[in-house]
Amino acid sequence: MTGLWSLTRRNTKLFFKDKGMFISSLITPLILLVLYVTFLANVYRDGFMSAVAGMNIDVTIIDGTVGGQLISSLLAVCCVTVAFCSNLLMIQDKTSGARADITVSPVKKSTLAISYFLASAFSTVIIGFTALGAGLLYLLKMGWYMSLSDVLLMALDVILLTLFGTALSSCINFPLSTNGQASAVGTIVSAGYGFICGAYMPISNFSGGLQKVISFLPGTYGTSLLRNHALRGVYAEMTDAGFPEEVINSIRDSIDCNIYFFGTKVSEGAMYAVLAGSTALLIGIYVLMNVLKKARKR
Amino acid sequence: MENIIEINHLSKSFGEVKAVSDLTLRVKKGELFAFLGVNGAGKSTTISIICGQLEKDGGEVFVCGENIEKNSREIKKKIGVVFQNSALDSALSVRDNLKSRAALYGITGKNFTKRLSELAELLDFENLLGRTVGKLSGGQRRRIDIARALIHRPQVLILDEPTTGLDPQTRRLLWNVVQSLRKTDNMTVFLTTHYMEEAADADYVIILDSGKISAEGTPLELKNKYTGDFITLYNPTEDALETLGLPYEKIRDAARIAVGNTAQATALITKHPEIFTDYEITKGKMDDVFLSVTGKKLTGGDEK
Repeated sequence: MTGLWSLTRRNTKLFFKDKGMFISSLITPLILLVLYVTFLANVYRDGFMSAVAGMNIDVTIIDGTVGGQLISSLLAVCCVTVAFCSNLLMIQDKTSGARADITVSPVKKSTLAISYFLASAFSTVIIGFTALGAGLLYLLKMGWYMSLSDVLLMALDVILLTLFGTALSSCINFPLSTNGQASAVGTIVSAGYGFICGAYMPISNFSGGLQKVISFLPGTYGTSLLRNHALRGVYAEMTDAGFPEEVINSIRDSIDCNIYFFGTKVSEGAMYAVLAGSTALLIGIYVLMNVLKKARKR
Repeated sequence: MENIIEINHLSKSFGEVKAVSDLTLRVKKGELFAFLGVNGAGKSTTISIICGQLEKDGGEVFVCGENIEKNSREIKKKIGVVFQNSALDSALSVRDNLKSRAALYGITGKNFTKRLSELAELLDFENLLGRTVGKLSGGQRRRIDIARALIHRPQVLILDEPTTGLDPQTRRLLWNVVQSLRKTDNMTVFLTTHYMEEAADADYVIILDSGKISAEGTPLELKNKYTGDFITLYNPTEDALETLGLPYEKIRDAARIAVGNTAQATALITKHPEIFTDYEITKGKMDDVFLSVTGKKLTGGDEK
């Protein structure tokens, strides 16, 4: 147990002290932030305004909607890209020789594998919660419509999505052993994940075929859960302000609060089941990969 | 003296390449054991197998009486390894590095603090504890590598080319520490090196070539077997050298005359006392042994 705790602490410390790894993990969220600041926020604001044109509406509701969309997108990419980048340590340790130095001690390989998982999840949760805190402060300034349960559910979403990202990255990084491979994985995930999870652009804007493909990716449901919880209060306020249900529903559709799997709307419960189930499956695969490697070595 | 490492018919191949082939050796408790060979001779492969980093294809390996296949974790508690290249975490401080590694052996809290201060004093790095490892010089970093290998008081210290590229001061410090631990703790040292003068101080030497043992013995046995003696004759005249009629190598103010052994050297000197007025007799060096055995020269890691 001492070994596991010590390795987890070492891995976590390394992530935060290795400036290269730390900064590269934040590139995607930073890109997203720049996109929002430069034009996306205005595009969405204009879009929502045109949807409610002719209605008497408090501008903070619109700002709250744009803000909610921003922080849910930010958290959705953060939880996965940070997990991927922090988990690159398992490759870096192979190339630097640190893994050999660690395994020359009487520590079990399974302990080392668990320590990578725990450290990656822990580092990502720290960053995710920091981002959540900053996002909530931003919403407080732009337009606060959230309840305590919304905040707690968002925290739960961050934890679930972090575990999903950590489990996925553990499976992908496990067989890799060179800096080139690590760099390729980091680049692909950083560049691509923002698109496929609907953070850069809502999935509803994609073509029908692509939407169907993306509906098979569990991360999509994580983004949608975050969005639902970030915007639930805004939608309630819109209802109270007398917005027609069709308008609210079309906003929900347009920013992926409603996700459809082959035409069927996916409930929040189903989204949690998909996310938790796929995380459990990926953890199972990671365990199996470790067991098979040990068996093959024998 | 009991065997602390026992290897029987060890073999390991990587595809078609036989890295180690039918290797059998014994390392006695408390001795300095030197394992020599050019790059690719199989030294690091053997070390990796002893440390449980690599699976062997055949043969048996026992360390401290335990079979590596059956009790690898027990063996790992008893060996310390200094790798060719530093394997510490560059982004962490010296203290954090040693703390995280010590915990893997169950050394934590006060026990760690005590051990850390002992090692810091022994290896003279008290002033480096808070420094980031990545910012240390090569020599400073090597001292920390050695501290890491010694953190759990191993019975066997494996040094894989520990002094390559080090300044003379750090090399001296390293050897002083190793010799002192051998005396005080009866620690066994398993050394691979490219520096023949380090191998000359070993208790037993094995020369490995293409995964097989080419020669083995004490440095004296190897020198007697594979090289002759040399008489260095200072300020000789050309006539004197012609009179001797033996092969010699001219050096700045002397000539180095090769003779078969010490007896021949003595006979030659007593035969020509008028020529041998200023001279010295030396044994062949380990470089000469290595060259004679393998036909190759070792110069700081490169085969020639």
